[in-house]
Amino acid sequence: MLTVTAGLMSPYPSGIQLPDLDTRPSCTDLWPPVIADKVDKPIGKWTIVMRRDGVRQWAYEEQPLYTSIHDDNPGDVLGGTQRRYSGDDPSKRVPLGPPSKVPPGFSVATITIGRILTTDQNESVYSYETDTAEQTMCIGDCAQRWEPVIAPALARKSGEWSTVERSPGVLQWVFRGKPLYTHVLDQHSWSQQGSDVAGWSNVFTQRAPSPPADFTSQTTIGGEVLADANGKTVYIYRCGDDSADQLACDHPNDTQVYRLAMCGGGDAKLCLKYWSYVHADMPAANSGGTWSVMSIDPKTGHLASSEEIDAINVWGYRDRPVYTFGGDLKPGDVNGDGTGEHRGQRNGLQAFMLRDDFMGGTL
Amino acid sequence: MAVKQYRKVLITSALLIVASSSFGQEARLKNGTIGYVMTDLFWAVYQTPDAKEECPKGFNSGPREQFTALFPDHESMTVEETQLRQEIETWHPTAHPDGFPYHDVEGDLSWGLNLDGEISANDFTHPSGEQGIDNEVYRAVGCIIGFRGPLGVEYIFQNKAILDERYNRMMIELTGVDNLQNDEEVTVNLYRGLDTLLTDATGLKAMAGGSQRIDTRWGASLMRHTTGKIVDGTLTTEPINEMVMPWMNLGVKSIHIFRDMRLQLKLTDTGAEGLVAGYADVDTWHKQLIRNDSTHHLSNGEISGISLYKALRRLADGHPDMETAENTSISTALDVKMVQVFIVHPETMRSTTANLTN
Repeated sequence: MLTVTAGLMSPYPSGIQLPDLDTRPSCTDLWPPVIADKVDKPIGKWTIVMRRDGVRQWAYEEQPLYTSIHDDNPGDVLGGTQRRYSGDDPSKRVPLGPPSKVPPGFSVATITIGRILTTDQNESVYSYETDTAEQTMCIGDCAQRWEPVIAPALARKSGEWSTVERSPGVLQWVFRGKPLYTHVLDQHSWSQQGSDVAGWSNVFTQRAPSPPADFTSQTTIGGEVLADANGKTVYIYRCGDDSADQLACDHPNDTQVYRLAMCGGGDAKLCLKYWSYVHADMPAANSGGTWSVMSIDPKTGHLASSEEIDAINVWGYRDRPVYTFGGDLKPGDVNGDGTGEHRGQRNGLQAFMLRDDFMGGTL
Repeated sequence: MAVKQYRKVLITSALLIVASSSFGQEARLKNGTIGYVMTDLFWAVYQTPDAKEECPKGFNSGPREQFTALFPDHESMTVEETQLRQEIETWHPTAHPDGFPYHDVEGDLSWGLNLDGEISANDFTHPSGEQGIDNEVYRAVGCIIGFRGPLGVEYIFQNKAILDERYNRMMIELTGVDNLQNDEEVTVNLYRGLDTLLTDATGLKAMAGGSQRIDTRWGASLMRHTTGKIVDGTLTTEPINEMVMPWMNLGVKSIHIFRDMRLQLKLTDTGAEGLVAGYADVDTWHKQLIRNDSTHHLSNGEISGISLYKALRRLADGHPDMETAENTSISTALDVKMVQVFIVHPETMRSTTANLTN
């Protein structure tokens, strides 16, 4: 188990004692390695690495594999995420899965509202409501603004994918019965700007589960944000500790030292004042596993035990509580966005953007 | 992709109705209207060689230097006792002294405007000789390396962000303009634009003659209105009670709030250059700095968010709180540059896009 900082939280130096050493888990406590049997043999991209303790561990494309203690049920991916990371984020841990089944030239990106279909240049693709799999209604001037995504002459129907011949010898990709376009006036990757035009929609391979019914959506000067029932912007706490193994510290089971420092100067009561949990009534219907009701001990920030009489029920997103900020005075305020170390990416809070017309729409 | 870019240019041109064979004033000042878009915006910091006049005691120390001084034995200490203690001081600041000497600007000269109409002992003198200049932000930041051009980290990143980020795309539109040299009264509207800037082939220099659609959706709350007059080519506006300036830098969507904000701009038909001045809300000022930059980035410019907050509080000179009488705002001026732009109103967009959509 690591006991001192690695100096990743610039400008602070390395060698400082990490918090809560008496209860600090090791990396493998949180991320059990995927162990290979003695008889298992490497095959293709699957290889076996030897851990320092002599245990054989599966690897894929040379990356050792782990499970997460946060995943309780088959299909859970609560330990990591495939959402886009940026340079100041803590180390990236992503769920391993097969690549999206899309033709060459397409890609799928995970944003807060779903898995959005794009070109391999990250341009959003769109569909038009009156189009059909056999006929496109967007011709002439329309096609100047909405550029058909052209399919190669050898493209063939496969599953949800097909083509339509929009002019002799020119094929256009069709997905789930709708011809695909890019929007010439989109100004950034993963854009939703084209969906503002009547009849046009972004294309998703999968939509994220809707937030609980008592959440709202609010317009900010940066885009659309998730908000509570009163219109206050919802924030997510993000944390990766300053150790060489960069353990996440964003879960109520993790040390609360970092979060309490940011939200209340180390005082749990002030945290409740400045960064309130989003309270949930019980029983409240969970939403597809993405949203859940969590029982929190407000004095510590940890998950409450069943005997805790002061426990509060709060909304959790991907098994982590969400918050509102006391400095947001009216719907649409996002004054807490970027609070904390490294602009809220390593120990801090970021607004839950549903649409970001200025930063690419990912959280 | 080249074809797509070509089409984009064609469509944008069709949308924005900017075609003109002439680049003279008559073409740009059209129907008494001319627009400008910001390309440079940063705190006005009067600098002398080696800072000897304004910072005779040297520059202020930053987070890295302060940490070293505070915690020489940090390896025997905990995260809570050291780096989180500093982060708490940063994010939950107080006006109490932090034990480090703070070097205010000591010179007499400063860029800026006389905001309160008075000449007091605490005011600066403009290099032109005008007295009564109110610019206490300069007094607070002038001896911090990161705020000094052309190599200070704040100076570099903020000006780059103004150019690059559409979030920061503020512009003004003057209407009722008879000519750009002298006009008793013109109307001034502030909008945010939606589009990238027209630049030269390097992509680094904004050019006059581009177009900007008005951001009527996300930018609706940023719109402001005032009036002004033009004397000898310089526009001076009446104060705007409260202006929200979008201020994205390094990816965080932040703002500044300027009270009694006014513009003083030398106008030409290709651009405008001068000052944005007013009283900045102190808490918003500090939050913008630490949200956008965090301690990591501030340390590159030797900017202590902790010490600077205390200086801002100490030097605040406007809008006293009704209950505590403590000043909540601080006088400031920002150097601003703009290029002429054709501002496209929504009704124009609707009519010209009608043929482009099904």
